[in-house]
Amino acid sequence: MEDTGVHLRGVKKKFGAIDVIRGVDLDVGKGQFAVFVGPSGCGKSTLLRMIAGLEDTTEGKIEISGRDVTHADPADRGVAMVFQSYALYPHLSVFENMAFSLRLAKRPKAEITEKVRAAAGILQLVDHLDKKPAQLSGGQRQRVAIGRAIVRAPDVFLFDEPLSNLDAELRVQMRLELARLHKALGATMIYVTHDQVEAMTLADTIFVLQGGYVQQSGAPLDLYDDPSNRFVAGFIGSPSMNFFDATVVDHSAAAVVAQLDGQPDLVLEVPVSDRPETGTRIVLGIRPEHLNVTASNGLRVTVDVAEELGGVSYQHGTLEGGDAVIFQQAGARHGMHGTVQTVMPEPGRIFVFSADGARIR
Amino acid sequence: MSIANRRRRELRAAILLIAPFVIVFAVFFLYPTYKVVALSFTNAPLIGEGDWVGLANYTKLLSDKLFFTSLWNNLYFVLLTVIPTTVIALLIALTVSKLRGRMQALALTLFFLPYVLPVSVVTMIWSWMLDFQFGVLQPLIMAVTGKAVPVFKNPHWVMPMIAVVTIWWTNGFNVLLLIAGLRNISPDLYEAAALDGATPWQRFWRITWPLLWPVTALVLTLQLILQLKLFDQVYLLSNGGPFNQSYVVLMQMYREAFQLNHGGYASAIAMVLFLVIVIVSVLQFQLLRMGGRK
Repeated sequence: MEDTGVHLRGVKKKFGAIDVIRGVDLDVGKGQFAVFVGPSGCGKSTLLRMIAGLEDTTEGKIEISGRDVTHADPADRGVAMVFQSYALYPHLSVFENMAFSLRLAKRPKAEITEKVRAAAGILQLVDHLDKKPAQLSGGQRQRVAIGRAIVRAPDVFLFDEPLSNLDAELRVQMRLELARLHKALGATMIYVTHDQVEAMTLADTIFVLQGGYVQQSGAPLDLYDDPSNRFVAGFIGSPSMNFFDATVVDHSAAAVVAQLDGQPDLVLEVPVSDRPETGTRIVLGIRPEHLNVTASNGLRVTVDVAEELGGVSYQHGTLEGGDAVIFQQAGARHGMHGTVQTVMPEPGRIFVFSADGARIR
Repeated sequence: MSIANRRRRELRAAILLIAPFVIVFAVFFLYPTYKVVALSFTNAPLIGEGDWVGLANYTKLLSDKLFFTSLWNNLYFVLLTVIPTTVIALLIALTVSKLRGRMQALALTLFFLPYVLPVSVVTMIWSWMLDFQFGVLQPLIMAVTGKAVPVFKNPHWVMPMIAVVTIWWTNGFNVLLLIAGLRNISPDLYEAAALDGATPWQRFWRITWPLLWPVTALVLTLQLILQLKLFDQVYLLSNGGPFNQSYVVLMQMYREAFQLNHGGYASAIAMVLFLVIVIVSVLQFQLLRMGGRK
């Protein structure tokens, strides 16, 4: 079977003197749901637009379905794109919006009607085919934009932050619909978002972008369990990981003993194989869900804000040194606001990073 | 405070705010308009009262050959300017909108510059440039026709040349309107169309043209009204000649009112032109709107 995957090799993009994409290699297999995630300005949208052919590629090679399309026209790449703004043609009905590409290709009328009806059926738009985009709700417009892509039956679907203009409830709903759609169509999809929850829930493979590089790629939980640097560790997971500056004070059999800054009476033993020398400055990363309240010795946190979500609560506070800390607790109504709590990380759930952000394993 | 009290205060503020405009509008527009309508049914001179003559001025107008010549020249001028100026403005707007940043601002300024000139300066520039003996454009005319042409004294050349001057003078404004319209079209739509496989030609006809149509219709209607009111350029460039070939309705009204002292008759001419403009422009705008909706 033909490989309809997307493969990028050494792809670079410059806007004038500014490097936006500094060398990206990535592979999205056929039928995979890949998500590009990263903070604003990390180049994720630019990378998607380069795959679509809406931005020129300065250097490197883009391959889609086994063809080198680095310099091909957008229409010849076998991709369809759903824009953040939906980019629906305001003067055309829903039907004509979805039929646009087929009309341009001069397909027979019966085929156009059949394909548009089929897509409208999948997306529950059959009753709205005669309406103009302005008469539709945000969610419906989103569906029309997806329908326009489906009708073209592309090898690859590209989504550029498609849910960011929807309200929170609709976003969750559309997220599920997209996941179902991916299962139903089995097509390759590449999805750009800055929302790591969307990334975690939708992706087969996440590509975390920052500073024009892919920082790490892999299955969502692999990134969560085993981040390769401090940026990925902080970006994946919600609320984000706590980071504490520390110093290596001693070595044991298979671990380093680290002392947190401003915590003279607490040392943590962290098992790592690549042990930095005594006296090295390191950063310890601990997720909020891995900090447990304890009666014995630990990190003393003054809780100032409690976010109670019902099922879980996030307690926000500060250490004596002033570092911000978040820890998670099951249930609600702990009444910790304004109190001082002692927390300890679960053993084996502490990540060690060097001062420049690289992971020490 | 009671509702009635508040209403009264709001009403007072509203009256106070619209009063300056209403007064100026009434004194300098409504009253003169009423006077023109009233005058057109009298045999009054330019200044002073006249006697009621009923529809006599209008029946006289219907048998006035010069009036129909003028009306025909007006329509000929509309034909020469309205659609050409819109097409030219659209081409310029499409080109200018492709430019970036300062280049775009510069190009826009250059095209808009003639519009800020007073009509007397415009006509002077062009009558020099087209001067029979010394005009810099005469070699160009000679290259086409083989001989110099005194354009404003030639019955075939006079209206087209006035149209050229008018288009040069007023085109910048249309370019501005169309550029504003083009900027309202989201660039995402062009990208979506490019992905859908539209060629640049298809992108223009299937996206730019229909989405720009409301602005294009507005430009066409504004131009129609403006060009039917033609007077200054003709008065300054050819004074209606030669052989009345550039005589237009407002020229005739001006002559009847200010040179022949026929206030009543001139008012009747003005009324008829007013009705022509209203009917034609409303008709055109409705037609254009229907054209845009289908």
